[in-house]
Amino acid sequence: MSRQNQQPRRIMGPQSALTDFLASHNISANQIRQDADARRRAALNDQTETTDQSPGQTTEASATSAPATPPVPTVPVRSTRATRATVASSREAAPRKKEQNAIDKIKAGKKFQKRKRGLDDEDDEDDLAFAIHQERSAPLPGQMGNCANCGIRFTVTPYTRNAPDGGLLCGPCGKELDKDSAGPKKKAKRAGGGAVGRRRQLQSNILDGTYALGAKSLMTLCIETLAKNIDLAEDLGDLPSSVVDKIARKLSKHRLLDSRTLSLFLQPEADEVYIYDGARLTADDYIRIFQTVPGLKKLKIRNGIHFKDSVMDYLISRHIELETFYIHGANLLSETKWKEFLHAKGTSLRSLQVYWTDKHFTDDVLAVLPATCPSLTRLKVCHNQQVTGTGITAIAQIPTLRHLSLDLRNEAHSDIYVDLVARIGAGLQTLSLTRVPGLDNTVLDAIHTHCRALEKLRVTDSEEVTDAGFARLFAGWANPGLRFVDVQKCRQLDAAHPRANPDGLGFCSDGFRALMAHSGTTLAQLNVHGCRGIGAAALEEVFAPDKVYEAMVKLEVSFCEEVTDFVVGSIFRCCPELRELNVFGCMKVRNVRVPRGKILVGVPNARGMVIEGDDDDGDEE
Amino acid sequence: MADACKYITLVSSDGYEFVVLRDAALVSPTIKGMLRSQFTEAQTGRCTFPEFSGVVLEKVAEYFHYWHRNRDREDVPDMEIPVELCLVLVQAADYFNLDARPSLRDPA
Repeated sequence: MSRQNQQPRRIMGPQSALTDFLASHNISANQIRQDADARRRAALNDQTETTDQSPGQTTEASATSAPATPPVPTVPVRSTRATRATVASSREAAPRKKEQNAIDKIKAGKKFQKRKRGLDDEDDEDDLAFAIHQERSAPLPGQMGNCANCGIRFTVTPYTRNAPDGGLLCGPCGKELDKDSAGPKKKAKRAGGGAVGRRRQLQSNILDGTYALGAKSLMTLCIETLAKNIDLAEDLGDLPSSVVDKIARKLSKHRLLDSRTLSLFLQPEADEVYIYDGARLTADDYIRIFQTVPGLKKLKIRNGIHFKDSVMDYLISRHIELETFYIHGANLLSETKWKEFLHAKGTSLRSLQVYWTDKHFTDDVLAVLPATCPSLTRLKVCHNQQVTGTGITAIAQIPTLRHLSLDLRNEAHSDIYVDLVARIGAGLQTLSLTRVPGLDNTVLDAIHTHCRALEKLRVTDSEEVTDAGFARLFAGWANPGLRFVDVQKCRQLDAAHPRANPDGLGFCSDGFRALMAHSGTTLAQLNVHGCRGIGAAALEEVFAPDKVYEAMVKLEVSFCEEVTDFVVGSIFRCCPELRELNVFGCMKVRNVRVPRGKILVGVPNARGMVIEGDDDDGDEE
Repeated sequence: MADACKYITLVSSDGYEFVVLRDAALVSPTIKGMLRSQFTEAQTGRCTFPEFSGVVLEKVAEYFHYWHRNRDREDVPDMEIPVELCLVLVQAADYFNLDARPSLRDPA
């Protein structure tokens, strides 16, 4: 009470914390109080007007209250019910005026102008302006509001829904609305990011074989940064070619190689150009390669879609003698141009690798090879639709071949392969026959008889070869130990009798024993994917405690039914250098302990595909 | 005698010195070679690199410790590489033989 008549606050004692706080936010308690008084006076004036009280009284009242500036609770304005009603109405009138002002403001604003473009008449405009106004004047999260639907008072949260015709909805009403308009409004969840995205990336790295514990190498870090900012690079400078190659590989991953970035990799004094993804290069860009790098010897182009006849014409017209030519996906190169190229440039060619061609790399092109390429040592024809047995017969006429890989879409008879192996098998180091369903034991026998230098052998998807055939191949074979063997999906296929295998078709127990006895110490990679005839006894015998396969790095035993926890454990013990073991579809593998630093892929359990070693195997070194 | 020391010093062309953990620096086969044999570096624990400036060598030293800190972890966050240093650092990485992913347990 005593405070009420005090003089201005300057001479007051210590202020309250609230006053300080308000003052610091430029809010004056005094100002608020004066505003409140002014409102009250206005209300009183209204009251006097409406209730026909004498004007003198009111002026007196206002005169007395004005200098005193009494705080609200201490001088209650005694009002009758009638006055209260008028005050209320005047209070309502003032906000309505304010609202109108606000709406006018909104109408003048830019946002409104933008949104109103779709509307026709003025009524719609007014509605829109009102809706915007309501949006803006709606209670903020944390405040209370009344539900526009049921009228219940509730706390507004960031998740509170807007009512279709203005206002906010309480929780239950909002849910009702959600039910009605569910589905199309929901945005698709963003994939990746966060912990899940990281985990997925990790799994992806494991499957790519790029996984390892610890930090990335400094080189990798730099190259990744460089790839991200490749548009800033003017010139790669005099980096070693191995590094340039790594950058090129990295760029291709994001399809960043185009006409501009290609120049970074064309060094005039270089003799090799490796393009890992040429999908965005034009024919002119390929021609530019031959213009800038006159000493080109090794050329590798993947996705070289625009490597077409005009490019080949240019290459033929230059003094470039390619030694290695690797081309992938060049479907625009015609058969005549291939022949022309081989006639003109075949003498220097040592390695020719052609991948993914539809029509124009044919038997006739292969028929030209023996005469035109006297020094060809490596030939690879992959995913080719035109080459048939005739072409393979032609390949048999190239005595210089050391590495031969065929992945054809046409089937050839085994006799053709026997003839091939008989003619050139003695010198072959690599023999890769992918997807040869009709290939039979005669070819394996021919390999046994003729091949003496083989390091890499691949025979896949054969439905004719038998276990006995494989056993004969490896038993007492004069060929030194193989480094790489891939016999995946050599198995008996009979939907009617899936279990029975009376003829011993496919790569089974005996073949496996014979293979490991012959090449166990030298094998670095073995793929017996889908060779489900390999029995438990054979697996346990091959990976017995006294056996050690020091060279083995990667082993694929997916879909071999008899692989169990015990066998996997034995494999890890027998192969000290093993890095990756694939066991997809081995349903008997359940809970294996994986030595540290090794990767087991494809475990069929809820933990996911991979168990990464958490068990420190001390006697690893 | 120098083997007993936990730290070694890397000296840049412009005279900056970086003292790094010996174990961390051994990630580089180049430095390992310098420290193993009977070179002066092996005895003094001081390696001078007239090829690299202080800025580059600082980043390399930072990488040594980054690698050492994360050597047993999975899913390591990448170290920031300033774009302007990128090409020089590639050369440094080549010099220090830091191109393959360093093996966890090199038989020392």
